[in-house]
Amino acid sequence: MRSLFFVVLAAMLLVVLVSVLLRHYLRARRAEQLTWEDLLKRLTWVDRDNIAMIAMDVITESGEPRTEDSSFALEPSAIWTLLGGLEGLEALEQNCHVLVELAAYVQKWYPEALVVAEQLRLNAREIEWHVGRLKGAAKTGNLQSSFADYAQRAAVIYYLMTRHVLSLYEQAHLPGLADLHQAI
Amino acid sequence: MHLTGFDRFVWAATFCGHLVLLFVLFVRGRAHSFPAFTAYIAEKIATTIVLYLVLRHFAFATYRSCYWSLYIVDEILQLLVFYELAAKVFCPTGTWGRDVRATFLGLVGASALVSLLLTWLAYPAAPLEIQTFILRSNFFSAALMSQLFVGMVVLSSTAGLPWKNHAARIAQGLGAYSIVCVAKDIIINYVGLSQHARLYNQMSHLRILTYLGCEVFWIVMLWLEAPAPRDLPKSTRMQIYKLHKQVEYDLTRIRTWRGN
Repeated sequence: MRSLFFVVLAAMLLVVLVSVLLRHYLRARRAEQLTWEDLLKRLTWVDRDNIAMIAMDVITESGEPRTEDSSFALEPSAIWTLLGGLEGLEALEQNCHVLVELAAYVQKWYPEALVVAEQLRLNAREIEWHVGRLKGAAKTGNLQSSFADYAQRAAVIYYLMTRHVLSLYEQAHLPGLADLHQAI
Repeated sequence: MHLTGFDRFVWAATFCGHLVLLFVLFVRGRAHSFPAFTAYIAEKIATTIVLYLVLRHFAFATYRSCYWSLYIVDEILQLLVFYELAAKVFCPTGTWGRDVRATFLGLVGASALVSLLLTWLAYPAAPLEIQTFILRSNFFSAALMSQLFVGMVVLSSTAGLPWKNHAARIAQGLGAYSIVCVAKDIIINYVGLSQHARLYNQMSHLRILTYLGCEVFWIVMLWLEAPAPRDLPKSTRMQIYKLHKQVEYDLTRIRTWRGN
């Protein structure tokens, strides 16, 4: 009986390992063939004005934190609507996945820019983390209490990061600026 | 200990493969980048020589003591190779990515736990108690290494950390080999040795042939140069560093908001 348990569990482990490895291997092969432009095309459209509105609730045009009493004025329900609900959050999350891949692309092909690529990757992962918390809270019905903590922070990080990426594109005359502008 | 012609052939081929691989590691300058892997291959060569001499000139009990001592060294070096590869993937800037540290430790802990549990369940029938112990320890080692390598691939893919060419090739070889070892050890631990010595030999041949394949793969891949990085225009490089500073500054402020 013990041997049977062993063989069943060990065989299950083996199947899981092989299938996970194959899945990731094929994914990595596909990713290796992707160009910078291919990655940009995978960005999902988000309403940038709404994201900016959420961000401007707590930061100024120059990116400095608002000190006046009117900051943090948006109610969670207003933020939820501006973000486009769960769909909007998923679009942000999808774009963060792409930004992580863009950072990986830079790390792989331009090792001189390793430090900044790693920083961008960590930023995108941080937003993913905030969005993941929100999605988890939505599933367990605790969205109301978690929303103010995570949503606005995620939106502001996203807003500032994408603004910097756009600025980088503009100043460095990199290709694909128009597409990127529309997407993020 | 009786060795067939095939056993002698694979033994010699594996030994020669290790010598060629060590030569490649030094001549192509990979030994500097992968010191643990180089030590692992050098240890394999030393083990083969020592065990051969001990088998010819000493009692079998001495051979067994040497075998176990070197087995432990081999296991430790395998773990060091795993750490070396993990450090290359998860510390791109010299420090561990803060998003992968906890998950990586969890991966190591969970892999060890699952391997221990499965090894506890395994109890292969064998004429000698020491053979049962060898079969179980082989399974533990293979299960642990295969989980660690697969976990590392998944974690790097999730975190968006790319593999450098040679590190990826070493990991592919070790990962594939450990998975074949797991498959072999599941079968052997299930059927045992008492009535299936022939099956054990066949499985051992499969394992050693897989290892030979890995050796050839490593020799070729470590001989070849990694794809050259692309040139980054100077202006873009400056902009990217500026972006880094801005984003870092923003995040420092955002993290001090309410809720923290």
